[in-house]
Amino acid sequence: MKITLPFQKQAYAIFFVIILSLIRGVTYSDEIGIALEAPMAILALTFCADTYTQEITGRRSEIWRLYPMKKRIHSIYRRIVIQEIFLLAVAVISYGLFFLFQNPRTGQSGPGNEICQFLVYTAAIAVTLGFWGLMSNLLSCLLRNMWAGIGGCLVLWLTTNSSAGNRYLGAWNLFSYTFRDLENSRDFSWIYGKIVCICIGILAVAALPEIIEKRG
Amino acid sequence: MGIKIQDLTVTFRNKVTALNHADLEIPKGIFGLLGENGAGKTTLMRVLTTVLASTSGTVTIDGILYSEGNFEKIQRKIGYLPQEIDLYPGLTVQECLEYMGDLSGIPRKACQERIRYYLEKTSLSEHRRKKMKQLSGGMKRRVGLVQALLNEPEFLIVDEPTTGLDPEERIRIRNLLVDFSEGRTVLFSTHVVEDLAATCNQLAVMKKGQFLYSGSMKELLEQAEGHVWLCNIKEEGMARELEKRYHVSSKQYTGDGLQMRFISETPPRAECSSCEATLEDAYIYIANKEP
Repeated sequence: MKITLPFQKQAYAIFFVIILSLIRGVTYSDEIGIALEAPMAILALTFCADTYTQEITGRRSEIWRLYPMKKRIHSIYRRIVIQEIFLLAVAVISYGLFFLFQNPRTGQSGPGNEICQFLVYTAAIAVTLGFWGLMSNLLSCLLRNMWAGIGGCLVLWLTTNSSAGNRYLGAWNLFSYTFRDLENSRDFSWIYGKIVCICIGILAVAALPEIIEKRG
Repeated sequence: MGIKIQDLTVTFRNKVTALNHADLEIPKGIFGLLGENGAGKTTLMRVLTTVLASTSGTVTIDGILYSEGNFEKIQRKIGYLPQEIDLYPGLTVQECLEYMGDLSGIPRKACQERIRYYLEKTSLSEHRRKKMKQLSGGMKRRVGLVQALLNEPEFLIVDEPTTGLDPEERIRIRNLLVDFSEGRTVLFSTHVVEDLAATCNQLAVMKKGQFLYSGSMKELLEQAEGHVWLCNIKEEGMARELEKRYHVSSKQYTGDGLQMRFISETPPRAECSSCEATLEDAYIYIANKEP
């Protein structure tokens, strides 16, 4: 916990969502998810990029080589899980901050729908955070450089979080939740994009041991 | 059994050859590795710790060949303290060692006992609740040494552990290495001659990726015997002239002028006498001997 979540990391994540909820305007409550998904993806990819690369910059990776592979991987996964839980908590809090600072209009998709909307947001953002966290860690490990991992992920972020990305990938886009049709609350086709995130995330989890073994 | 290195070559992608057909046998006990900066010591250590793959040649440790299939077996036998290491600055000494012990796969109870034992041995017990970032350079080195010893390795590899430390800390680290060499092989790499003179009986001298010498300290000193000269020089000009022609291992102003130590096959052309060689003299003699 002290290794993966030092005070400065916690502080910048919290400041990030406070500032975001202050400056990003929303009119209706169902826009909060749209306002949060892409910025939270950036937070996740910067947050998780040093999960393992801190061992390289701290010059501890040579000692890590001597540890059993199982232990090394287990430790990295544990770090990712701790960070993702923290980020999910931040994402949930930031949903509340939007209500606090922006005071959006509620009930536009039908009465009693707010809780359902919040639960859907939580599920979607959990997948988003997981995907971008895993991807940035994977790329950073592969390139043995945190900034390279962040840069690689930003390219993917810019590509998919764009009108072109939406046009070509549609419901299969990584940011399908952001580009969903707000007018049609019964349209859940954006789930395909989240399934893509889950599938790529699983591949990233599976590829990590191989990368750590080869790149060290 | 020790470590056996045969015809080992490491060439990097930029075509720089860090180890060039090197042969060496490292027996049990504390073994010194001496060489100038860039001689290939760290590269050798990185090969021995399986961090770096060799380009050609073979290495065996306790008879086990260095090959991908054997790496896990080899890694369990090794404790390593790299030249530069920044152990988790936000953790306390105790937390840091517990975490690293857990990563090594040491059972919790045994790990606690070993941490207590080694902290005691390294006089760090009273600092165990301090954060790593609050420790001095010497203390950090000692913690680094403890982490290398936690899994009770048969082979302890330490890369320039005394660099940048004050004399007291250097002596402390040296003594610890001697203590910990009992019953195991300690490979002690340094470019500080005094450190080896104070700790090792066996050593190897490296230069440009090759071993110039490997054997006992006594034999190395014997090789330099008769090639070390002590001269008293009165004129500055003459001193400068001699400096150009011979290797100078020390010079000192005395009441009479300048006293200089030269390393040379033949006596320098000045008033001089042959004197006993130190390890430093022997190192300079070996490192600069004509092939």
